[in-house]
Amino acid sequence: MKKLALHTQILIGMILGLIVGLISIESSGLSGFVVDFVKPIGTIFIRGLKMIAVPLVLASLIVGVANIGDISKLSRMGGKTLGIFIVTTIISITIGLGVVAVLQPGSKLSDDTRTSLLAEFNKNAEGKIDFAGAIRERGPLEPLVNMVPDNIFMSATNNSSMLQVVFFAILVGIALLQVPKESGSTVLHFFNGINDVIIKIVQYIMLIAPYGVFALIAALIVEIAGDNPSKVWELLNALLWYIITVVAGFFAMMAIIYPLLIKYFSNIGYWDFFKGMRPAMLLGFSTSSSTATLPVTMDRVEKHLGVSPEVSSFVLPLGATINMNGTSLYQGVSAVFIAQAMGLDLSLSAQITIVLTATLAAVGTAGVPGAGLVMLVVVLEAVGIPAGGIALIMAPERILDMLRTMVNITGDASVSVVVASTENALDKEFAKKHASD
Amino acid sequence: MKNLPLHFKILIGLVLGVIWAFLSSSLGWNAFTINWIDPFGTIFIRLLKFIAVPLVLFSIISGVSGLSDVSKLGRLGGKTLLAYMATTVMAVTVGLTLVNVIEPGSYMEEEQRIKNRLSYEIWLQDNDMGLSQDGQSFLSDPQYEQYLSEAQQGRDLSEEERKDLEEKMESAQQRKEVSPLQFVVDMVPENIVFSISNNQLMLQVIFFAIFFGITIVLVPKEKSQPVVDFIQGINSIFLKMVDLVMRAAPFFVFALLAGIVAKMADTPGEVWELFLGLGSYALTLIGGLLFVVVILYPLILKIFVPKITYKELFKNLSPAQFLAFSTSSSAATLPVTMECVEDNMGVPKSISSFVLPIGATINMDGTSLHQAVAVIFMAQLHMVDLTIGQQLIIVLTASLASIGAAAVPSAGLIMMIIVLQSVGLNPAWVAIIFPIDRPLDMLRTVVNVTGDATVSTLIAKSEGELTKY
Repeated sequence: MKKLALHTQILIGMILGLIVGLISIESSGLSGFVVDFVKPIGTIFIRGLKMIAVPLVLASLIVGVANIGDISKLSRMGGKTLGIFIVTTIISITIGLGVVAVLQPGSKLSDDTRTSLLAEFNKNAEGKIDFAGAIRERGPLEPLVNMVPDNIFMSATNNSSMLQVVFFAILVGIALLQVPKESGSTVLHFFNGINDVIIKIVQYIMLIAPYGVFALIAALIVEIAGDNPSKVWELLNALLWYIITVVAGFFAMMAIIYPLLIKYFSNIGYWDFFKGMRPAMLLGFSTSSSTATLPVTMDRVEKHLGVSPEVSSFVLPLGATINMNGTSLYQGVSAVFIAQAMGLDLSLSAQITIVLTATLAAVGTAGVPGAGLVMLVVVLEAVGIPAGGIALIMAPERILDMLRTMVNITGDASVSVVVASTENALDKEFAKKHASD
Repeated sequence: MKNLPLHFKILIGLVLGVIWAFLSSSLGWNAFTINWIDPFGTIFIRLLKFIAVPLVLFSIISGVSGLSDVSKLGRLGGKTLLAYMATTVMAVTVGLTLVNVIEPGSYMEEEQRIKNRLSYEIWLQDNDMGLSQDGQSFLSDPQYEQYLSEAQQGRDLSEEERKDLEEKMESAQQRKEVSPLQFVVDMVPENIVFSISNNQLMLQVIFFAIFFGITIVLVPKEKSQPVVDFIQGINSIFLKMVDLVMRAAPFFVFALLAGIVAKMADTPGEVWELFLGLGSYALTLIGGLLFVVVILYPLILKIFVPKITYKELFKNLSPAQFLAFSTSSSAATLPVTMECVEDNMGVPKSISSFVLPIGATINMDGTSLHQAVAVIFMAQLHMVDLTIGQQLIIVLTASLASIGAAAVPSAGLIMMIIVLQSVGLNPAWVAIIFPIDRPLDMLRTVVNVTGDATVSTLIAKSEGELTKY
């Protein structure tokens, strides 16, 4: 195994996981074994990655900001990053709307399936709608308030308050720049050391990546199939066109938008970018968690694409919480799909409203766990589609979440490459040499 | 604007905030103020709070570890506690004197007070609490019979008030059930990372930090040096953060004040009416609090530190005082108090980092004064005559309660419930002073913070380490 490239190892793990999963669906004894004894390996893998995400963000961002050395450069970079985040989010929603308008998946849904889907997932949907209601009642500036920690140690003990950790780390970095060198240097050395240690830990954890991915995929198949695999197939089949539409949208992002972005706004070729990012994309797919993948994304972007740590430590944690291209696209598609399935026509202005609310929702629900569907409820209500409609699309949620995460991660990584290029912090030749290490 | 001193800019922000709130509510822009301006006030408090805990932790460690000899710490600790107790007793005495001289509770109509008294005795009967504190019984007196039916109806509380009250009574109950030494037990953390991650466990953080600092002194120097360097570095970073945040303080204070006033009532007229209804009480309390800040503390300081002038004193402390007023949280103000005391008064770090955080959690002169005035005011309102002895019990309970109260806004009301219960009065009475508690809380916090700063200066002087005066 040692000689194979990391992404090949992960890919093999995925395929084996798929095979084992499909085999064990057939016999109940085997599927019990997979859930009891294989799944924990995957969970351990994800926990390992999540364990170091917060310390990594903290240490690398403090060191990163301190190394930028100049606050005006930091604020320029921040502005640029947020600007590109917003643009890519808008593009991805628009693509989603375009794809769904062309393929019309909602009108291909028969009345029978619609009623049965609505009945089946009604309960799940209600929970999300309540949650969305609670979110909507917050003041418009609440996201801004929530960015500021109340107690930084509290925030650091909670993976979902990553944005607060980011805020704190940036502030520490700025303060570090302004205190006298002799009192700051010990702290900087300390965090530098911690940062190196964490990067080493990431490498250790990645040693079990193929096994972890194998376990995750096998367990996923078994769990999705549940007690009645044939029914699951039926459900997925009924929503086939919807799934195809979402996947087509994702494909457009990965194969058209990001290549164009990288080609025109950065110094490296898309092929190198793609090669360098393969392991992170595969991990995003199998863990369906941006936070868990973050350590690996940072490692790939820095060590294999040549983005300087100052840029990546700043752009990537922010991106993991507020820039979710895949999720935004999925929202565009789903909103229109539900409207189509319910026989509602969406005017152009309604579609523009979708773009705007989905963009705002993406920023506004940053850091809210399980935000994907909740954000969708907010978008649906903004254009007057019954929010109960989300029951229609809950069946393939798990699988689409995996793909979504992959797109999200690719989006973050490409923004970091673009920002680094425009800041002259990207070595042109580096990616060519190290992309497939 | 550039050259104005900070405290002046904060004052401008404060005044503009109040003006804005009144303006916006008369123009019907209250929703805008609450949605778009108030959040910045919240952000400000959060910023200060998240800096406070690490600052306390690291500054105490670096302060204590800088002491050459640990026995000094014991002396310092003893002195600090003594000084805090002394100032608290003085503040409460001021409150008691004022409330007994002015008798704010007697300004209400006689008839209403008799009704109050009767409903109080009915409450006593319902709860089997025996005779009232002063031993008299209005119920058995035929001359008051005519008021009885009205008194039975009692005072109607709105649903919201009742819920709020019940919550507060519950937490008061929980506090009462613990043993008297519980607060010492509570000082020792069970898990220090957990304590650090909770803003209300500041005393535990202080305990740990002192312990840690002492240990650093006892460990061989070559081994502890990297730790000390790191902690001092981190400490200077947090101080720099305070600096950065304070640059925007005038704006933040503006937002905070605008939000507070806008949230208090829909129209400024309502706020005014609330104040008028309890005017005598509010004026007595404000008078007491102002007396302590403007006369008592400066006097004490002048006696022990003759060189300091009145004007200098306020120039030195005003940023912390304004901030205390706008945030009504001594914990949130702590970073700034430390800065003022160190940079302007010349108190060495080793003393301020030890005395101030302790003060922020256990020394609440303003709160104790408020307790005394409020409890006796309510007793007067219900025609309950309290003897000096009973009043002293109130003082004692109030002082102890102020030690137990965490450095959070409005903890004072919960403590007041305990005080009322301890002297057999109806704890539901706190509902009377609920409506205007927030603005008074602001003033209380100013007293608390000024008290802390005064004590830290005194301690520094007594150690001969006050560099500026």
